[in-house]
Amino acid sequence: MKIIVAGKGGAGKTTVSGTLARVLSRAGEEVIAVDADVNPMLGISLGVGMDETERLAGIRESLQQGHIEHAHDVEALVATFGTTAPDGVQLVVGSRMDGPDSGCACCGVNPDQLLNELDGEGRVVIGDLEAGIGIVTRMDTGNIDLVLVVTNATSKSIEVARRAADSAAGRGAEVLVIANRIGTDDDLEEIRAALGEHEIIVVPEDDAIRRADEEGLAPLDGPRDGPGMVALLGLGERLALRAAA
Amino acid sequence: MSTVDVEPLWIAVAGKGGAGKSTVSGTLARALGRLGHDVVAMDSDTMPGMCRSLGIAEPEVTRLMEAVERVEERKWRLKPGYGPVRAVQRCSIPAPDGVRLLQLGKADAAENLKPVIGAVGAFHKIAGRLGDSRTARRWTIVGDLPAGPRHLSAGFASYTRGALVVVEPTSQSVLAARRCARFTREHLGRPAWYVANKLRDEEARRRLARMLGEEPVAWIPYDLEVAAAERAGLAPIDAAAGSAAVGVIESLAAELSERRLDGL
Repeated sequence: MKIIVAGKGGAGKTTVSGTLARVLSRAGEEVIAVDADVNPMLGISLGVGMDETERLAGIRESLQQGHIEHAHDVEALVATFGTTAPDGVQLVVGSRMDGPDSGCACCGVNPDQLLNELDGEGRVVIGDLEAGIGIVTRMDTGNIDLVLVVTNATSKSIEVARRAADSAAGRGAEVLVIANRIGTDDDLEEIRAALGEHEIIVVPEDDAIRRADEEGLAPLDGPRDGPGMVALLGLGERLALRAAA
Repeated sequence: MSTVDVEPLWIAVAGKGGAGKSTVSGTLARALGRLGHDVVAMDSDTMPGMCRSLGIAEPEVTRLMEAVERVEERKWRLKPGYGPVRAVQRCSIPAPDGVRLLQLGKADAAENLKPVIGAVGAFHKIAGRLGDSRTARRWTIVGDLPAGPRHLSAGFASYTRGALVVVEPTSQSVLAARRCARFTREHLGRPAWYVANKLRDEEARRRLARMLGEEPVAWIPYDLEVAAAERAGLAPIDAAAGSAAVGVIESLAAELSERRLDGL
């Protein structure tokens, strides 16, 4: 199963991706988490810590400077740059931070390719995308099982989510909208008004998740009885059932 | 346009998505306009943002497309006679306080940047050539960069003489901010200053200073009035005038204008 997670910066893509990746891995799936963000952060929500997250991003920079090379295909890139995160999730940083092109300096593989070419058969590939709608509009949707579009209740976040969801759904992809950090019914109404034609999963505001993000810890390693985490765990179970089927 | 004699500033605003770049850059542009700067706001984010924070409607079409012509299937160039000055004069959108907004062009749901790809190239050239023009050198530039550090090393912010890096007290925002500051200093050789945003309490302030490893030049509190303005898509400087957060950004504008920041 292949899942991509899109939305405006700050909406909660990384928190959702990292938490779901670990829940799916705990459910017995082989999980590859691809950090396709030009500003890679997925390590934090997976629980490898701020320093290791920065070191992984740094590997990509030294690669661009020609210090490391690897075989020219996506599986080799995963093997070379993958790190084992908690619960056995394989984390791969797929994007470079500097330069106009996000592709790998030695083999040219870019995050789009990595996500398109990694085989989702018999395992779960979950891609945390860069902020905005770029990769969503370029992805081969026939190759993606599910597009998760994460949004908050602000007008800008909803606008980006609407574009991402319309683009993906318009090309035949299955879209699930995640209304994240929802505090009030008004919040949800704003999201429903713009994205009502898609199924919406509500993830309420959750102090424990917010604190984990502040401290650079995986939300899953904190208290799991808050309303936001309960909603994410529920979504994770649903996806695990689907992946197993 | 400017009646007061002020020295121009060329500032880019960077940071993680959601940190508050548009809020800071839009409010700062308006505040500098009020201080007598002839402000050109440069919005190189392809997502909606700076328009709303400046207090104007998102245009239907990218006006910068008027400045370009297609020479080959995938190649565009600035029309003859179009440099930064003419592009700003003809293709910018007027905003309050004398601010003019030049937009790179917004992504489209169906085709992403394809409809505005000519404008992207034009924006890149204009940003790079601003320093060549005597007229442009009298403008104050306030740039709103896309999320993350990449545009600081990709030529979209080559005009930058200093970057304000907006950061909120979360681990992800801090990592992004440290990368933005590093790229500004290493790739552009320019100073970078942190602007702390959405601070809820004293503990958040201490945590942020510890994670950043250096002191921000401004501390913007979490502000319900600004949050409400943002939610409604209104300019904070209008809809949340007099709020604590807008006050801090106005003070920052004054500090920049008087060149009181290190490295300016």
